[in-house]
Amino acid sequence: MMALKVTNLSKIYRESTGEVHALGPVSFEMETGEFLCFLGPTGCGKTTLLRTIAGLEKPDTGEVEIQSPPDGGESVIGYVFQQGALFPWMSIFANLEFPLKAKSFVRDTRREKVESMLEMMGLSSFASSFPHQLSGGMQQRAALARSLVMEPDLLLMDEPFSSLDTRTSQELQENLRELLKRASTTVLFVTHNIEEAVYLAGEVIVLGHRPGRIVRRETINLPDQRSRLSDTFTEYLVSLRKTFESLVSH
Amino acid sequence: MSLVRVALGFSLAVLIGIPVGLLMGASRSARKFLSLMVEMARPLSAIALLPLSIIIFKARTFSQLFGLQYLRYQKNLLNEMQLGMIFILFWGGVFPIILGTIQGVRSVRKMHLEAAGILGANRIFTFRHVIIPSALPDIFHGLKLGIGRCWMVIIAAEMLPGTNSGIGYLIRYSYQLSRYDIMLASIVIVAFIGALFSKGLESLGEKSLVLRSKER
Repeated sequence: MMALKVTNLSKIYRESTGEVHALGPVSFEMETGEFLCFLGPTGCGKTTLLRTIAGLEKPDTGEVEIQSPPDGGESVIGYVFQQGALFPWMSIFANLEFPLKAKSFVRDTRREKVESMLEMMGLSSFASSFPHQLSGGMQQRAALARSLVMEPDLLLMDEPFSSLDTRTSQELQENLRELLKRASTTVLFVTHNIEEAVYLAGEVIVLGHRPGRIVRRETINLPDQRSRLSDTFTEYLVSLRKTFESLVSH
Repeated sequence: MSLVRVALGFSLAVLIGIPVGLLMGASRSARKFLSLMVEMARPLSAIALLPLSIIIFKARTFSQLFGLQYLRYQKNLLNEMQLGMIFILFWGGVFPIILGTIQGVRSVRKMHLEAAGILGANRIFTFRHVIIPSALPDIFHGLKLGIGRCWMVIIAAEMLPGTNSGIGYLIRYSYQLSRYDIMLASIVIVAFIGALFSKGLESLGEKSLVLRSKER
């Protein structure tokens, strides 16, 4: 089933210094449960793409269609920011409870859902801590948990691990794969890290420099259990790196 | 007596200042509409308005407002609460509170607002759970400045003729009697109470400040 359809999406930022053609036009589709990764150099409009899909920016042309869930309700979108989107004045528990409270779930349901999510993310012991007491990795883990607790139909992730060190970032990538195996969430992930893209995604789309356009589409035919050391993994890595280099060099 | 007056005037300033500040911070049209008024009214010294407020409010006191002036208490507290004085206390305290609150609401991080929106919060929920908590440190700062102003205003107001109670009155009266010891003691007390106010509000606001400054 189609989960997301983006047609001819483009975005121009108008500022006092002139116009910046940030994105597109870009068109693509996503199936339910798919993990699609947008890969591109800094400033290619990746974030703009996500923000437009999330409704945080208005596109200049084109449209975004998000499939409503089969039960007829409104589709739920999750968004994980690069960093610092947790509310600093709330405990981790309260942060996770926020979306459930906003959707007026009753107290007991909220509690149950938050606790099981904390458990799943290995955050149970930090429930009453405040964001600033957590390491960067733990903060992003909590931010991810807050997006997942409302069981989104579509999860948008904007370089969520880019502010972390390599080891922590890889750990979180592994966690994310584990988590997604259990749910059929459709994920649109944006990164400039080639390895991260190959490790996580079912399909990679390479975006070219300003304005962001689709340069290459690549399906990643790797097993669910991925090893960063396997030959095929390295082949994808090298091949994508070549595309990437050619983008940056001219 | 001075403390009761300040408590009344300051509470009034808080009750009006915070909602007005919230409104002005949140709504562009309210800000446009009200900011000119606030900016015109703000530099007017509260003391300068005392004669005017006496004309407007006459020598009316709170007890008259409630029709209680004939109650025969030896010291009817409300009889000492001149409306004019309360009005200038309000005047002195309200502007720092309004400005602090506006500042607080305006400095809410855009990312937090966006996150709240995506997490399904409507405007009222966002206001209650995101905007107000992140504005708290600035609101407390406004309160601190506001109460300091109130305290300065009341001392000066009590020194003017027409009062026969309060610590400002005590300073003037002891001066007239050449009891400089009492005068100096009163000044020290004024300083201490002023510091107490400010420290008290600071410690109340501390928790919210700590959380914001440690944010990464």
